[in-house]
Amino acid sequence: MSLSRRAFLRLGGAAAVAAPFLSLGRRADAAAAGPARRLIVFYFPDGVVGPSQDGEPSLWDPTGSETSFSLPVQLAPLERHKARCVFFRGLSMGPTDQGSHPGGAKKLLTAVDGGNGVSIDQRLAASVGAGAPFRHLYLGAQANQNNASGDKHISYVAPGITTAPEDDPVAAFARLFGSAGGGGGGGGDPRAPRRLTVIDNAGQELDQLRRELDTRDQRRLDLHLEALREVEARIMATAGGGPATCDHPVVDTSGVTAATLYAPERFPQILRAQTDLMVQAMACGLTKVGVLQGSHHTSELIMSRFAGTPMYDPGFDMRSHQASHYGPHHDPARREYRDYLAQRVWWVKQFAYLLDQLAARPEDGGTMLDHSLVLLATEVCDGNTHRHDDMPFVLAGGAGTIRPGRLLDVGGRRHADLLLALAHGLGDPLGSFGDASSGPLPGLLA
Amino acid sequence: MHYATGVRRPSLVSLARWLALASLAWLIACSDDGPSGDGFDFAASAGAARYAELCQVCHGEAGEGGLGPAVVDLAMSEAELAEVIDVTMPKNDPGRCTGACATEIAAFMKRGLTSSALRCDAVPPSARQLRLLTRREYRATVQDLFGAGAPAMTCARATDCAYRDGCAAGRCEPSACDRHTFVYDPQGRGLRSVHVAGSWNGWPGTVAAGGWALTYDAATQLWTGSFTLPEGDDAYKLVLDERDWVADPRATASIPDGFGGMNSLLRLSCSGGGADDPVAGFPAEARPAGFPFDTAAAAQAVTATHVDAYLATAERLADHAAAAAPAWPCDWSGDRAGCARGYVADVARRAFRRPLTDLERARYDALADADLGTALHAILISPNFLYRSELGVAQGDGRYRLTGWEVATALSYTLWGTTPDAALLTAAERGDLDGAAGLEREARRLLADPRARAQLGTFALQWLGGEAVLTADKRPDLFPGFDDATRAALARETRDFVSHVVFDGGGGFAELLTADYTVVDATAARFYGLAAPTGGPGVAPYGDGRRAGVFGHASVLASTAHSDQTSPIRRGLWVRRNLLCQELPPPPPFAGGVPDVDPNATTRDRFAQHTANPACRSCHQYIDGVGFGFEQLDPVGRWRDTEQGHPIDATGELTDLEHLGSETSATYRTIPELARLVAGSRAAPACFVRQYYRFARGVQDSLAGRCARRALEQRFADSGGDVRQLMLDTLLSRDFVVRR
Repeated sequence: MSLSRRAFLRLGGAAAVAAPFLSLGRRADAAAAGPARRLIVFYFPDGVVGPSQDGEPSLWDPTGSETSFSLPVQLAPLERHKARCVFFRGLSMGPTDQGSHPGGAKKLLTAVDGGNGVSIDQRLAASVGAGAPFRHLYLGAQANQNNASGDKHISYVAPGITTAPEDDPVAAFARLFGSAGGGGGGGGDPRAPRRLTVIDNAGQELDQLRRELDTRDQRRLDLHLEALREVEARIMATAGGGPATCDHPVVDTSGVTAATLYAPERFPQILRAQTDLMVQAMACGLTKVGVLQGSHHTSELIMSRFAGTPMYDPGFDMRSHQASHYGPHHDPARREYRDYLAQRVWWVKQFAYLLDQLAARPEDGGTMLDHSLVLLATEVCDGNTHRHDDMPFVLAGGAGTIRPGRLLDVGGRRHADLLLALAHGLGDPLGSFGDASSGPLPGLLA
Repeated sequence: MHYATGVRRPSLVSLARWLALASLAWLIACSDDGPSGDGFDFAASAGAARYAELCQVCHGEAGEGGLGPAVVDLAMSEAELAEVIDVTMPKNDPGRCTGACATEIAAFMKRGLTSSALRCDAVPPSARQLRLLTRREYRATVQDLFGAGAPAMTCARATDCAYRDGCAAGRCEPSACDRHTFVYDPQGRGLRSVHVAGSWNGWPGTVAAGGWALTYDAATQLWTGSFTLPEGDDAYKLVLDERDWVADPRATASIPDGFGGMNSLLRLSCSGGGADDPVAGFPAEARPAGFPFDTAAAAQAVTATHVDAYLATAERLADHAAAAAPAWPCDWSGDRAGCARGYVADVARRAFRRPLTDLERARYDALADADLGTALHAILISPNFLYRSELGVAQGDGRYRLTGWEVATALSYTLWGTTPDAALLTAAERGDLDGAAGLEREARRLLADPRARAQLGTFALQWLGGEAVLTADKRPDLFPGFDDATRAALARETRDFVSHVVFDGGGGFAELLTADYTVVDATAARFYGLAAPTGGPGVAPYGDGRRAGVFGHASVLASTAHSDQTSPIRRGLWVRRNLLCQELPPPPPFAGGVPDVDPNATTRDRFAQHTANPACRSCHQYIDGVGFGFEQLDPVGRWRDTEQGHPIDATGELTDLEHLGSETSATYRTIPELARLVAGSRAAPACFVRQYYRFARGVQDSLAGRCARRALEQRFADSGGDVRQLMLDTLLSRDFVVRR
């Protein structure tokens, strides 16, 4: 029946189904839980309910001791993953621009004031990620809305230069799993030789052009050259017509079109689709370094349009940034506060879903989650005060690489040290990272 | 000063190191004659970059002061200055810049922020650069390169036209957004039928079962068929002889079919991004903070995502161009190889916007000999196509001069937003653009063309931040009828109004702000309740004293409001940033949020807290007061008399109009009054010059640019704000062709 020829990308009005188990088709490695192989950063905007302006304690910190603690309401969705997570207290991004969202966003993955450095995900894409068909996968949900760019994006390819996430799951799916991508199904691609020829030609011309430039513009052309090499390597790897490395990627994008891509009502679906896409791309070995960005700082995202959530209200618009300014104290009588709290819980639930998907996939005697370092991040601590001195990072996964199930009080240590530790955990022996690291965060790595 | 000791100063903006260098103080005379003596090397100074990050927002780009005192020609020694910085600066966060940071900045300030170092004749010229084509430039470029730009393009069949056009009654016409032409090249294989089977028609195995049949054209040896299709994403395959299911080789995207093979993917969208939009998959341009345009050269970096998108689009364009090759005048049947080489060289010359070097010619000849499509594909993926060059030729004194070809390119992309036309390329070839007279002649020709109007409209919408009217969320129940067609009409209003003032009315800059009329089509007129123009967009007087020029445009007003309420902060910042080029630092740490408010109060009352609280007032005094004056214009830009039943107080206050720190104040009661105040300032026209310069040159701010702008500002003021003259002057200034 013709049904059997339908693509597994749900394009029409079909209802969403749970993503099936992916049979990985990879040979099993000898070791059971091995070192971490991939990094995923999950970003949400506008902070959390942290210490209030009036001095009430943070509602994000777990309470208890390092190994025996309980989760506050904002982290409740992570209860089932608690033993696989590390929570932090006192992790600081330094005092610069502490009053600001953009200031925080710039430091978030670069650990350099003003974003004047390469972000950790890009650094790792070039080292750990270099062998994969896609060195780096940056997927967004409405992260480019209304021409958002620059410091609204968190991945820095060069000092001061961000790159944009791909907001369209349909296009991203086609790019990843389509014939020009790494998942190209069976048989050599007849267009591959021509593509390789033109890429090679472009590379030669870039080399020529590069010689005429000063260092700053050379840097940009170097990035272009690296991009060409990455695509070239990918085409060569699939052009040989080797066996497909993954079957049946499934992502629900029904009803997501150019016209609806930025509708707030669709946001939960789009974020979920991007999350599924990220996991499946990684399951297929297409990439090892990924960043998932939900919206962007000072977000106008109308979260009260999310049907089926506690903050849903079709009669009143409550935006993320608007709710984040909930006032000087934790006041449940105030609408902004209630909605903000509900929003934060919702974001953590989406992070928990990501962990669920990774944990559900067996991999080499363990699960994908065991071999992944998954970092939850937002650009400020408390959304109202915008402070950067007790950042609400959460790290999950990496059993065998990190010592999980703990609450680490790092007493003001800089977050550059966390990012450095992640690099080491993935096998990149970086000497230092950012402008203030003093060594990998002690007690984190196994 | 606007602060007392003990009150925390605002924290400072960090700027990308290489973007902003210090510039000339207002009092220093400037000449843009040739270089003399040793200038201070601003580009090499680490302290200059640090100053830009940490000090500039309060002390001024050129040390001229602002929220903080002027710091040009400081008397104290370098060591003393370093200590002052180390211990007390930045004002809100002392201790942030100590040791090497403080000494670098002190060295820079003592040597660079001096009257002599800042003299324009000592300042090095603007940097050479490569500029990646923006999406809009790429789109226009390929349309012009492959035929759509030629209005008299005749055709016998669709494949004679640009890839997205159809052939109707012998002329190429842009195809409707919901219509797609399928093309299949059987490569010599004899077939009885080719049909389309996909999610639209239930994947039928035969034409009888509903497959959409393509028809064979013996002249082109291609199977084609054109169909009107619903918007959205659909998968399909082509079926040969009702037996062989193949993916469409011309599809831009494909997805697994679940059987180890690939389905083709077609995306159609009438709101842009459809299959036939060449830039549909291209990543958006990065716009650095404070730079409202898509032309920021140094901020764009090509990634694998770009390369994938470029490769796919170039492939389609190349296939089309290869199919169109036989139409290029040459004896194809007599000397196919020679014609192929010649055709490729011709396309390359137009695509690279210059002739090929001998080395390049040899390489492209070899590619053409092997396969025409490959050679064309290579051209379109080449950096010589994707980047436009402003590198110039070395003059021997460390400076470079743009070639005539580069001048042609810059003229065309600045004034028309597209690739140089044949006449411009010919002028470059003849050397006309190597001298000022030829440059001016061509610039005037371009300015007189309708394309210059459209491009100025693009500039205006970006300058005013009005593009967001197309995408900003608005509550449909509160603002019924604010649909896509209305939004598009309102964006168009701003483009058409600015073009009209500048090109038709002979109006100057002030008119853009103070005009008692706008230019609307029927849709926008209906939105505002204005009399509908007949036969296309036309001038519509406001007539009610409520609006003035661009201040009254819904594109601006909707972009500076939330989905359900206005934002005096965003509107105030719009005046400060977009119209006056005044940047404010971000909120200080621990400033806290908006205090408890009465949700039933008016917007003004809710925000009055900012100006009441001393910690907020130091910056918000510049913002909110301005924004309050817009309160009678609702979140989509319609007039309102009350808010939630309360009367609206729309008095506004415009503090420090010319220059933050100048301690002036003016109140206004109506938008036209505000418009007159702003239009009458020195700061507003100077800002306009700066914004146009940014757009044209793709550089946020630079010392050399600042020097060039001094002369531009003077002429702009002398001419009464003649925008056309400004556009010319920006391109004719010496700073445009001489680089380092």
